[in-house]
Amino acid sequence: MTRKRRNLIIVEIVLLVIACLFVYPFLLVVINSLKPYAEVMTDVIALPKAWEFENYKQVWQLMDYPKLFGNTLFVTVVSIAGIVLFGSMAAYKLVRTKSWLSTLLFFVCIAPMMLPFQSFMITLIKLSKNLHLMNSLPGLTFIYWGLGCPLAVFLFHGFIKSIPFELEESATIDGCSPYRTFFSIIFPIMKPVTATVVILNVMWIWNDFLLPLIMLNGNQATLQLAAYQFFGQYKSEWQFALAAVVLTTLPPVIFFLIMQKNIMKGMVAGAVKG
Amino acid sequence: MVGSKSRKRLLELLVFAGPAVLLIFIAAELPFLMSIYYSMTKWNGISKHITFTGLRNFRELFTDDSTFFPSLWFTFKYTFFNVIATNVAAILLALGLSKALKTANVLRAVFFVPNIVSLVVIGFVWKFIFSLGTTSLYEATGWGFLEWSWLGSIKLAFSSVLMVSVWQAVGFYMMIYITGLSSIPDDINEAAELDGARGFRKFFAITLPLLMPSFTVAMFMSLANSLKVFDIIYTLTFGGPGDSTRSLSLDIYTEAFVNNRYGYATAKSIVFVLIVLIITVVQVKFFKSKEVEA
Repeated sequence: MTRKRRNLIIVEIVLLVIACLFVYPFLLVVINSLKPYAEVMTDVIALPKAWEFENYKQVWQLMDYPKLFGNTLFVTVVSIAGIVLFGSMAAYKLVRTKSWLSTLLFFVCIAPMMLPFQSFMITLIKLSKNLHLMNSLPGLTFIYWGLGCPLAVFLFHGFIKSIPFELEESATIDGCSPYRTFFSIIFPIMKPVTATVVILNVMWIWNDFLLPLIMLNGNQATLQLAAYQFFGQYKSEWQFALAAVVLTTLPPVIFFLIMQKNIMKGMVAGAVKG
Repeated sequence: MVGSKSRKRLLELLVFAGPAVLLIFIAAELPFLMSIYYSMTKWNGISKHITFTGLRNFRELFTDDSTFFPSLWFTFKYTFFNVIATNVAAILLALGLSKALKTANVLRAVFFVPNIVSLVVIGFVWKFIFSLGTTSLYEATGWGFLEWSWLGSIKLAFSSVLMVSVWQAVGFYMMIYITGLSSIPDDINEAAELDGARGFRKFFAITLPLLMPSFTVAMFMSLANSLKVFDIIYTLTFGGPGDSTRSLSLDIYTEAFVNNRYGYATAKSIVFVLIVLIITVVQVKFFKSKEVEA
C-alpha cells in the first residue's frame, strides 16, 4: 500500500511541474501587461517594479473596448438564442414525425457537419453579398444561425428520442396546442442538452475568427478581429498588445471559472455525440 | 386524398423544422452547391463577369500550381505528427489525472484552459514568447535551445507550430480520455491486477482496448481539425517563413482573398473537401472495426 501511495505522490508532483510550465506563457503575458515598455524590453521574466494599470487604461480607449465587448456579446447571445430555438424546434418535430419528408429534412439539417467550412466559405461570401448580409452584425448572426444549427439539431434529436411520448400525449388530450406542448413541456426537460449546446456555441462564436474576418471585411467589429488588428498595429509596443490579450481573454476565462465543470463536460459531450 | 388532419401535421412540421432547414440550407448547402459550379469558372470575386472554363482549374491545380502540393505536403506532415503527439500526450495526462490525486480537479482545469482562449490570442501569445520570452529565458538560464530562432527558421517553424497546436488542444482530448477511462468498470481493473497484469502490460492488454471508443472519437476529431488547421497558422506564422508552414486552408484563403482568384480557389476547396472526407471516413471505418466490448 505504501508503495502505491508513494507512486501517487510522484505522479502528482510530476503533473504539478508540467502544469506550471503549461501555464507559464499566460503568466508571462499577465506580468508583462503590467509593465511599462522599457521594462518589457529589458527583462520579460522579471516581475514588474510597480504594479500599474496604465496600459489597460490606454488599451481600453485605443481599442474602444466597451463597444467591441457589446458587439461581440450581441453576436454571441443572439446567435445562440436562435440556434437553440430553431435547432430544438426542428429536432423535436423531426423526431416525432415519421415520414420520408422528416427523414429527408433531418438529413438536410445534419449533412453540413461533414463539410469543412473552407469548402464553401468563398461562395458563402458571394451569397452573403447578394443577400446584403455583409459588413453587418445582424448579417453575421444570421449566418451563425445556419452554421450552428446542424450540431444543435443533431444533439437535440438524440436527446428527444429518449423522452417518452406519453408526456405529450396527455397534454394533447388535455387540449394543449402543439406549440404550447413544446414550449411548456418538452423544452424545460431538455435543459442538460440545451446547456451543452449553449456552451459549445459560446466557446465557438465568442472566439471565432475566420467568419468575422471574411464577413466584416476589415471592420473592427468583434473583439477577436480588433485584437488581431491591434496586434498588427502595435507590433512593437508589446505592453499594449499584451494588455489587449488579457482584456480579450478575460470574459471567456471568467465564464470558465464560474462554470468550469459544466464547460469541460459539455464540450466533451458535444464532441463525443457529434 | 389529403385529409385536413394530415395537412395540419405537414404545416406543423414546416413551422417547427422550416426555419432551421432554411437557415442551414442558406448558410452551408447552397454555398457548397455553388462552389461546385464556381470551381469550373474564372472569377475574380468582384466583377460580374464569370466565365465558364470547364475543368481547366483542376488541370492547372494538378499540373501547374506552385503552392498546392507543398501545402498538401505540409498539411499531411502536420496532421501526422499532430495527431500522434496530441493523442499520446492526452492519454498520458488522462492516465495520471484519473488517479486519486489531491489536485486532480485543479490540474484538469489548468490543462483545459488553452481551449477556451481564442486561437488568435494563442498565436499572438506564442509570438511574444518566441520573440521576447525565449531571449530573457536564455539570459537567465543559458540553455542554448532558447536562443534558436523558433519562428524564423524553416526547420524550426514546423516544430513551433506543432508544439503550440499540441499545447492548445491537449486538454480537450485529455478530457475525452478521462471520460473513457472512468467508464471502464473497476472489477476489470481489479481482475487484471489479481492476474498479475501491471504497468505497460495492463495498459496495452486491458486499458487501451477498452479505451477504443474514446480513441476513435479523439482520433477522428484531431485528424479532422489538423487537416483544417487555419487560425493558429494565420496568426503565428502566416505560412512563413517562405511558404514552409502554409496549410491547405491557408492556401485556399490566400488564393481567394489575397490573390483574388475566387474561381480557382473554389476548385482547390473542392479538392480539399474530397481529401478530408476520404481520409476521415477511412480512419473511422478502420478504428470502428477495432473496438471491443467490456
